[in-house]
Amino acid sequence: MKHPEQAPVLIVGAGIAGLSCARALADSGLAVKVLERARGVGGRCATRRMEGQPVDFGLAFFHGRSPDFLAALEEVPATRLPGWPITTTGGGRPCQAEAFTSGEHRLAFQEGVQAFPKYLARDLPIELQANLTGLEIHSNRIHLTLADGRAMESPIVVLALAPEQALAQLEPLAQFSQVASARAVLGLVRSQTCLTVRALYPAQAPVPSWDMLFPETSSILQVIAHDSAKRQAPAHQALVFQAHPAWSRRHMETPAWPGLLLQEAARLLGPWATCPLLAESHCWEYARSDRSAELAQPMLLELPGTTALGLCGDRFAPGGGVEAAWLSGKLMARRILARELP
Amino acid sequence: MTTPKDALALLVERDQDHECAGFGEAHVCVRVAAVANLPTRAGAFRLVGFWNNRDAKEHVAMVCGEVVGQEDVPVRLHSECLTGDVMGSLRCDCQDQLQEGLNAIQRAGRGVLLYLRQEGRGIGLLNKIRAYALQEEGLDTVEANLALGFRDDERDYAVAAHMLHSLDIKSVRLITNNPEKIRQLTQHGVKVAGRIPHIIPPNEHNRFYLETKARRSGHQLDPILLERLPEQSDPVVFADTPEASADR
Repeated sequence: MKHPEQAPVLIVGAGIAGLSCARALADSGLAVKVLERARGVGGRCATRRMEGQPVDFGLAFFHGRSPDFLAALEEVPATRLPGWPITTTGGGRPCQAEAFTSGEHRLAFQEGVQAFPKYLARDLPIELQANLTGLEIHSNRIHLTLADGRAMESPIVVLALAPEQALAQLEPLAQFSQVASARAVLGLVRSQTCLTVRALYPAQAPVPSWDMLFPETSSILQVIAHDSAKRQAPAHQALVFQAHPAWSRRHMETPAWPGLLLQEAARLLGPWATCPLLAESHCWEYARSDRSAELAQPMLLELPGTTALGLCGDRFAPGGGVEAAWLSGKLMARRILARELP
Repeated sequence: MTTPKDALALLVERDQDHECAGFGEAHVCVRVAAVANLPTRAGAFRLVGFWNNRDAKEHVAMVCGEVVGQEDVPVRLHSECLTGDVMGSLRCDCQDQLQEGLNAIQRAGRGVLLYLRQEGRGIGLLNKIRAYALQEEGLDTVEANLALGFRDDERDYAVAAHMLHSLDIKSVRLITNNPEKIRQLTQHGVKVAGRIPHIIPPNEHNRFYLETKARRSGHQLDPILLERLPEQSDPVVFADTPEASADR
C-alpha cells in the first residue's frame, strides 16, 4: 500500500531503534524520513576505521534470543563471526551479563558491528547532521525545528533517542498530560555513561589470548575488547577500553581521562599498553541503563489534532541492548501502522 | 490405570525432549516439568510446573479433577500480581479474582487455573511500584502503564495456549468476562467451547471497590481512591451489580 501524498513519518535518531522503526514502516508502504544528528548511522552500534582497520567502539558484539532479531542479523551482507566473543576472561561483571546466559546467541561481523545499521538504513531517506532543536504542535501537525534553521512537519513523529535527550526535547510539550506522564516515565530510566578509548598497537605487541576481558580487580575498566581478533589478517592490534559507569560519570569532565584509562590498561596488561600507535577517545554519555530501569514497550502519545508522538529505544523493551532497541522500533512501527492502516 | 495423577505425571515423561516451533511471536515453547498435590483453602489441586524456552518464568497450572484429554474443561487465566495475590493489596482486586477463579473450578468439580508468571514484561514489580508512584502524582497513566509493563497480555495468550495444548485439553470453557481473551486463545488454536462469566461475590474486601466506584462517579478526590491499575485484563463483575445480572 502506497501513500505518496502523505507527509512522511519523521523519525528522530538513526540508531538501531529509529532505523528498525523506519524500516518496518517503509516496508509496509508508509513514507518515512529519518533525521540523525551525527555524520553516520547506527548510534552506539559504531565502527570507526583506524589506519584503515575497522574498530567497534560502542558495543563489541550482538547478542539476543528473539527469533525475529536473529533473523534480521542473519540478513546482513557481512562476514559473520558466530559466537564471538569466543574466549572471555576475568571475574568482573560484563556490562550485559545476560549476554552470556544459556539460550543467548552472540555474533560479531568481520566488517564491524556498524554493518547492521548500515544495512537497515540501505534505501531509507536519511538526513545526517540534522540536529533537532524545537518541537511544537499546531494546525494538526507536529512541527520540528532543526539547528540549521530548517523546519519540518508531520502528523506523526517518533523520537528514537536516549531517555535524557527525549526528556529535554519534550519539554515544550509538557503541558499535555500524555507528555507529562511520558516525561515522568523517561525520568525513571536514567542512562549510565561509558568512557571509551580505542587504541591501535603495532602488530608485534603482545597478543591477548582472549577476545574480551572483564577485569575483576579494576574500579576503572569494566571491559577490554580485543577488537582486532574480529578482523581478518589485521595490520595492527586494536584494543577497546571501556570504563565502569560510576568512574565514567565522575571523570567525564576531567580532560585527562583517556590517559587515566590507558594507565589502568597498563596496570592490567603490561607497560606496553600505555604507548599505542594511535588512540582516540569517545564519551558515550548515554551508553546504557542497567536492568533495574527498563520498560516493557514503546510509547505512542495521542496529542491534539490527531497528531501522535512515539518514543522508542533500547530502554523500551525488556533486556536492553541492540535486541531491545530493534524490537522496540519494530513494535513502535506496528503501533503506528495499526493507527494509520486500520 | 489412568487416574488424574498418572495422566499428569505421564506428561512430564512425554515432554522430556519436547521441542516445537513454539507459539506466538516469541515462538515460546513449554514443557510439563513437575507435578505434585497442592491442598489449598479453596480445595485440593494438582500443581503442574512448566519450563519454557524463552525466559526463567516458571508458569504453573492448578488442576482439579480429570482434564487430560477432556472436552469442555473450565479454564481460568490469571496473571501474577504479587501485591494483590500475596499482599492483599486494595489497589487492585487480583486476590479476589484469583480466589474466585479457584472456587469456581472447585464448584465445577474440574478445571484448570493457569497462573502466568509475568508481572509486567520487563522488571515487573519495580515498574509496578513506579506506576503506583506516578498515579500518586496524578499523572495520565494509560501509556505509562503500557510502557511500565501492564495490560499487555499478548504473550500470555501464546504461553497459555501452549500450556493447554501440553495438558492435552481438547476444548475449554473459559472463565472470563472478556471476549478478547476468547478471540486471542482461539487464534492460538485453542478450541473455546463456551464461556463461564467470572463473577466476584461481594465480600468485606471487594466492597471497597463498590464503594470506590460509587464515590468516583461523584468525582470525589481522595488520594487512596485513585484509578485502579488494571493488572488483570478482565473487567470485574460484581454479583450484585446490574452488569452481572446482564452477564448471566
